[in-house]
This record gives sequence, structure tokens and C-alpha cells, in this order.
Amino acid sequence: MAEEKDLKTVLSNMKYKDDAKVQEQIVDQLLQVKMRMGRITRKILVMSGKGGVGKSMTTVNLALAFARAGHKVGLLDIDLNGPCVPAMLGLKGQHFALTPEGAVPPMGPLGIKVASMEFLLKPDAPVRWKGPMELSPVWLGLQEMSVIREFLADILWGELDYLFTDLPPGAAADKPPVLAGYLPELDGAVIVTIPSEVATQVVKKSIAYARDLGIRVLGLVENMSGTVCHRCGAEEPLFSGDAEKIAREMDVPFLGRVPFDRALGAAADRGEPLLDPTLPSVRHFDAIAERLTQALEFKKLMASLL
Amino acid sequence: MKFVCRKCETFMLFEKLESPAEASLGITFECPECGSRFSMVTNPGETSMVQALGVKLGGRTEPAGPMELTRETLKDPSVAATAASATPQSTAGVSAGNMGGEAAGKCPFSSMISGMQQPGAKMEWSREALERMEQVPSFVKPMLQSSVENYAHSNGITLITPAVMEASKNAPTDMAWAPEAEKRLENIPSFVRPMARKEIERIARDRGLTSVTASLMDEAKEKFMSMGI
Repeated sequence: MAEEKDLKTVLSNMKYKDDAKVQEQIVDQLLQVKMRMGRITRKILVMSGKGGVGKSMTTVNLALAFARAGHKVGLLDIDLNGPCVPAMLGLKGQHFALTPEGAVPPMGPLGIKVASMEFLLKPDAPVRWKGPMELSPVWLGLQEMSVIREFLADILWGELDYLFTDLPPGAAADKPPVLAGYLPELDGAVIVTIPSEVATQVVKKSIAYARDLGIRVLGLVENMSGTVCHRCGAEEPLFSGDAEKIAREMDVPFLGRVPFDRALGAAADRGEPLLDPTLPSVRHFDAIAERLTQALEFKKLMASLL
Repeated sequence: MKFVCRKCETFMLFEKLESPAEASLGITFECPECGSRFSMVTNPGETSMVQALGVKLGGRTEPAGPMELTRETLKDPSVAATAASATPQSTAGVSAGNMGGEAAGKCPFSSMISGMQQPGAKMEWSREALERMEQVPSFVKPMLQSSVENYAHSNGITLITPAVMEASKNAPTDMAWAPEAEKRLENIPSFVRPMARKEIERIARDRGLTSVTASLMDEAKEKFMSMGI
């Protein structure tokens, strides 16, 4: 009886055939992502090292700032387990309209198209999957990856100037690589922090992590940089740290500061975001949007200013 | 996953998919040479893994509906989400076959990442560097590889070691700047100046230069203007 060849030798002489059509479907899925995303000029992630720094608030208000400037804007909320963007934009209780071409996203203030897990859930229902959540974190990761892929591929985003993606809080380390994998043309990430010592230490990790993944850090936003007195409008510091210093140390553009503003928070809670460009908080976000535009187009700046 | 008929030295082919029990898949394969058949039976965890990919074994008979996987896997979806019976825009005509054998036959994500690979310039990777790369999620590998190889290429390095990988993360700047060049850089708003500095230094390194001069600034400016960005 002839001696059985080792598997490596056997495989080297064989031609692979995708007869179960799994790879073909996965490639089709990715092409669908490319097709949808190809109509969007700028794709920007908003992430943070720590939770509770106001990342969703920043994402929402950045999206509004760009929409106010006349751009076509989309906002993708991939905080799958704690989606709050719809509530902030007054879209709670809305759903996707499912059509043969794809899912039509609800439209928020200033024509912002919004996609969120919230639009697939019953009111106040948590995200619970049918799969073996208790058995396999690997499965859960794969499931969430596919959900994100469907958000990118199946939503009828149309042509947009900007798509902002609100990431889950804290150390949800699996989402940035998933997005970077689906969107190799990603423009970069805005990182949000607050000026506390604890948060600024963690934000350094976020910057290093984004760079490790090949995601360009477009800039750092310092949220809750102070508080605005609701009587006299004066600003006072809330923490003693300084995110601008971290930005310098880490060699990333500092995009600006946003003091804590009760009016801004209350408006988000009501689902009626502040839109008046003369309001102090709105002005802060408009200034950050302007700097973000410059960070995105710094080569254009170099062409004109060098 | 593929099965090999060791007797015939050929891949066994997918024959059919059954559901022998709840949350279980029975996948039957057949050897095209000798006709041997066997069935693989999945446990609930494995079944969910396959379903989480959003694919149908053996191929789809109709395109997936919008957000189909998400809607079908949610335990408690909203009524509006379950009421859908729509068919999305098909990517018909743009299938694996159209991507060329290379894209279809390798990693399923190769079509997505192929554009990120740098053509030519084959670099040698040490075993330790490769082992380190193995720890990186597969999605990210091409980007990281490209970034490290670009750094190595710019610095005349032909063998990539863990030390090179580390150095590529925060490539130190040892570029000398002529005073006039430095002064012109100040025209750029301060918060984006570090990005501009890096970009010019990258151009200088690409040209094998060790210093940034005013004439290089002129070239860089011309380059950016010609890019129409």
C-alpha cells in the first residue's frame, strides 16, 4: 500500500472551488458595502477611550454643524447595545422603511439621515439575539460584525458629503477594526475626551490604538471643558486636566473645547437639538467643524498656504 | 471549510444542506471522483456561527432583504422591522466570478483589501515579525502590513523585524529643516501643522532626502495643487 502523502503536498496539487458559494456571497456582501459607501465623500468615526465623555452628543452636534453648513450628512449609530442618537435627534419610535432597494433611514433635523439599532427595536427593549450569547463571545463578535455590515450595505444613504459613525463607548475594541476593514477609504477618527486626568490617560491609548489600526486621527475634541453658568453665561472649568496638551504630546490636531451646557443637554433629552448658530454651544461645534474640515483637507491648505 | 478525499486527493464537493434537528445543520459532501459521501452535523453554537455570516450554504435562490440578518436574529424586533418582505437591490452581475479568480479563490475579504496592498516591492519578514502580525485581527493585517512596509521602504530597510514594526508606529523625525522651509510651514494653521510637517517629511524621505528645503516645499506645493485636492 502506497504511503499516504502529507496534507500540504496533497493541497498544493488541488484547485479550490467555492461550491458551497460561501465566498461568493461574502464577496457580494462586501461589494454591496462598496457600492453604498462609494457615494459618500467623507467617512468619519467618532470614538473615545472612556464611556460617558459625551461622544454621542459630540457626534450629533458635529453632524448638525456640517448640515448647517449646507452639507448632506448621514449619522450611523453603531452603539448597538445603547443607541441614543435617535432620542437626541427626536427620532425615537421611528423605523426604517424597508423597500426593494434597501432600508430608508429616518431623517432628522436639517435633513440628516440616521441609522441606528433603535429603529429595529421595540420601545425600551434591549438588544437580545437569538444565538448562543451565553456560549460564545466569538459568535457575538461575528454577529455584530454582520450587523454593522448590513448598516453600511443595506441603508439607502444615497449621496452624502459626510457620514459620521458614533462608536460604542469605552474599550469596545472590536468595532474600529471592523469598520476599518469594511471601509479602507475611511477618512479617519475624531477622538472625544474630557479634561479629567483619568480620561486623558485613556485617550492616549485610543489614539495609539487607532494608529495601530491604520486609522488616521483627525483630531481631539475636549468635551465638558468647563461649565456655563445658566444665569450669567460665564464659563468655569470642571476639571483640572488639559486635552490640548495631550493633543500636542500625541501629535494630533486639537479641534476645540465644548463647555458643559445645561441647555444643550436638556435639548438633547427633549430630542430637540439646538440649531440656532448664535448660541454659544452651537458656535463651539461650528468652530470644531471648521477645524475638522481643515484637518480633512490639510493637503489643500498646504497647496494654498505653503 | 473544505474536506479532502485523501484517497482521490481532491476536494469533496458540497452536495446538500439539511436540518436534522433544531439549531443543527447537516451538510453533506461528496467526492467527485469516487462518490464517497459524508455528512457534517453542527451543534447550536456552530450553526449560529454560520448564520452570523449572513450566507446561505449552497448559495441563495433570492437576494437577501434589507437588514435581513439583523431583523431575523433579533429576539424581540419591532413590528415594523418584522413586517418587511422586501428584496434589496441586487448586486447581480457583480459576483465573485467578476472579481477574477484571484479575488474569489483566496480570503473572502481579499476583494475589499486588495486595493490597499502596495504592488511590487516585496519585503522580507522575520519569523518573529510574522508571529507578531499573526496576533493582529485579519481585517487589519493588510493595512498594518502596508504601513510597516512603507516605513521600511522609505528607510531602505529590506528585512522587517519586530523592532522595525515598533519603529514604524512613531517614526522619529530626524529630518533637518532649512530656516526658510520652517518659516513657510508657519503659514499652515498651528493645529494641522504637525500633519503638514509629517507629509512634507514623507515626501523628502521618498526622494531619499535628509533635509527639507524651500525648493522641496515648492515641489510639495506644486504636487498638492496638481492633485486638485
